Amino acid sequence: MRKFKHTLSGVLVYLYMIIIVLIILVPVVWMISATFYNVKSLAAIPLLPDFSKFSLEKYKWLFTFKQNEKSALPDYVQAFSYSLLIAVINTIGVVILSTINGFAFSRFRFKGKKAILLTMMLLQMFPTFMSMMAYFLIFRSLGWINTINGLLGLVLIYMTGSIPINIFIVRGYLRGIPKVIDEAAYIDGATKTQLFFHVIFPLAVPIIGFVAVNAFMTPWLDYMLQNKLAGNNFITIAVWLFRINDPLSKDYDPIAFMTGALLLSIPIVIVNFAMQKYIVYGMATGAEKG
Amino acid sequence: MKKEKVTEAKKELRKKAGLFSLLGLIPGLGQVLNKQWYKAIVLWTFLILLIIIELSTSRYGFASAELANARYGASVYPVTYSFMTPDNTGDVIYFWRDYGGFILSGIWGLFSLGSVGPGSKYRGFNISVEIQEKLPWTRFDDSAYLLGFGLITLVMLCVLVFLWVISIIDSYKTRKSILSGKPTPTMKEYLKHTYDNMFAYIILIPAITLMLIFTIVPLLFSALVAFSDFERGTRLFHWGFKTFNYLFENASLLKYFLDTLWWTIIWAFMSSFTVYSVGFLHALVIESKYVNGIKIKIGKDRQISLFGKKFWRTIFILPWAIPSMITLMMFKNVFNIDGLANEILRNIRMGQNMANFLHSIGLYGDTMFPISWVTKTNSGGLARLVVIITNLWLGWPYHMMLITGVLATIPRELYEASDIDGANGRQKFRYITLPQVLISTMPSIIMTFSFNFNNFGAIYFLTGGTPAYPNSDIGAPGQTDILISWIYKLTFNDNTGYYARGAVYSILIFLLIGIFSVWNMSRTKLMQEEE
Repeated sequence: MRKFKHTLSGVLVYLYMIIIVLIILVPVVWMISATFYNVKSLAAIPLLPDFSKFSLEKYKWLFTFKQNEKSALPDYVQAFSYSLLIAVINTIGVVILSTINGFAFSRFRFKGKKAILLTMMLLQMFPTFMSMMAYFLIFRSLGWINTINGLLGLVLIYMTGSIPINIFIVRGYLRGIPKVIDEAAYIDGATKTQLFFHVIFPLAVPIIGFVAVNAFMTPWLDYMLQNKLAGNNFITIAVWLFRINDPLSKDYDPIAFMTGALLLSIPIVIVNFAMQKYIVYGMATGAEKG
Repeated sequence: MKKEKVTEAKKELRKKAGLFSLLGLIPGLGQVLNKQWYKAIVLWTFLILLIIIELSTSRYGFASAELANARYGASVYPVTYSFMTPDNTGDVIYFWRDYGGFILSGIWGLFSLGSVGPGSKYRGFNISVEIQEKLPWTRFDDSAYLLGFGLITLVMLCVLVFLWVISIIDSYKTRKSILSGKPTPTMKEYLKHTYDNMFAYIILIPAITLMLIFTIVPLLFSALVAFSDFERGTRLFHWGFKTFNYLFENASLLKYFLDTLWWTIIWAFMSSFTVYSVGFLHALVIESKYVNGIKIKIGKDRQISLFGKKFWRTIFILPWAIPSMITLMMFKNVFNIDGLANEILRNIRMGQNMANFLHSIGLYGDTMFPISWVTKTNSGGLARLVVIITNLWLGWPYHMMLITGVLATIPRELYEASDIDGANGRQKFRYITLPQVLISTMPSIIMTFSFNFNNFGAIYFLTGGTPAYPNSDIGAPGQTDILISWIYKLTFNDNTGYYARGAVYSILIFLLIGIFSVWNMSRTKLMQEEE
């Protein structure tokens, strides 16, 4: 009887998990299957994939479509390249800033250290949203909206926004490296700069990698700032996806959205799976900026 | 006893050094008299830099000639800054506006927010976008620009004042050690010492500069806009509490605000509660003894397990791995009238029943199938439910991962001891698992709450705030709008642009959620840390 009860509970648990898996997978599979229909309306997408109607037209369209007078949107590849540009510059900047700052905060004692750290923590509590109006109005006064300057100003905003959290991450990691190593280097006559480049930097490569991947991923899906600051001449991938999925827009094409979104998500999903442990750790140590 | 004597002597010393340090009110004087002119040079370099910036961006050189040529003769009188309305500008010359350099015109701009609007007449010129050759002051004032650069000036001045105060403190300390007969460090010693001490500061300069310009100035800017009457289309705005008064005296706006605030609180609470509890439940399910999978032996010693814990966990975290913006926009399609939700109901032939059911519990205003989930004015409740459910779909895996980690840290001995005492499963959960997990994840629960309070994407990408309230006008929130998404629309939509109103609401949000976050922060590790 007891064994029977155990088996029954086991079956119920498995049934429950299967239902959860269905709830997770059905929308995902529906979205993936939708990308294989060459239609423009959601009504044409059945619940179960209809393989006889499958084609790769939408994918072809994404890569061959060129902006013209009829469409307000640029082509997917163009939008993609703007996002890539922001992501690359952002990564370089963030890596340089976060390593030297993490070095300073983990290796030296100086007056006001705690005050600076606390101020940074306090500042990152303010959502980016609150500063956004200022960014927009100042950029507009400078005539940066709709120009490449707006796009580059965006990078400075991302870089600055990520300083506090990255300082906490890198500092936490570097503090785990014993200070005996520093002392040994100083005894051998190393200067502080040498210590940084020849000792600390090589040891910090794993955490720098983590910070770099984060910095690279941030700009891809930030709609709020990019929509306003980069403007209509520099439509990035996030803005492109939002606009093509907006029923009020004349370019409305939800199937094209799902195709574009799928292509963008696949690499991100893979990176997230690979880094799940680190990311949960990072989120738990410092508040994420939202 | 002994202590008192020492204090007497010390008091005298302090008094002398204190009086001496007052000399520091003239920057650098204290240092020079302490024979530490090299310290004074540092301070002077900053001061001179500031003066150079001021002079090189100014037009003082042209002032006398241009003022002499002014057509108004005796009626012209220069003023430094003025709160006068633009109507009076015909008679007034704003000296700092027309001739001041970056620093002084910046301060003028910050106080006055500009005085010469587009289209007005000033010093005999028509003011417009076009700049007259050689006369930059014929361009109209842009208050947003003046405010932004005024704040940058203010921050620069604050940095200088900070250095100055430090120099005064330093001269006090040095004087005290001179008076008590200790040798002062030589320049060489000092420079080496300083470099060693300053190394950290020097490498922090880029980060701090960036944060001053891109974090602190914009935050001050947004906060200050609340105390103005700035709207789209106004080039010139003024200080005042007009917007505050307007927002709280206008009954319909106040009602919109309170309705949205109430929904924001419900949303933040419900979304956090659902993701946390479902995450908890699934952590328990996956970690339960029933999930073992099917063990298959390969070779002699190795065995793999099919459908074990790892398999389920990998699928379960899929919603977390997909970027939330994409998930939300995907669910916008799922809950489209032609979307997946209605498609499923149609396939299992439950469409009409579901519509009737939703109608009977008051969420759905019609009884029509296909259901319009998020667009009907009379179905606000349904749209709100959809928003919470979608957030649940994408939110719980993170908490599951977090709680799975915590479960592993609960000491086994607790469960063993409770087994001996004859506790059943429910009691073990109630008295061991639940309290242990709640304590460790409390900071994360609070963070989730404040994150969701400002979770712009969850609303904006999914519903865009729809459905609207019945008979609402431009700038009104929708029924699923939380404060932050409403402010976004209020500030940035094509037909709105109410900057000052948005800023007032932003300040209110911050007051609400900021106190909460500060309290949470005060409990973190960093606060208790030494150094």
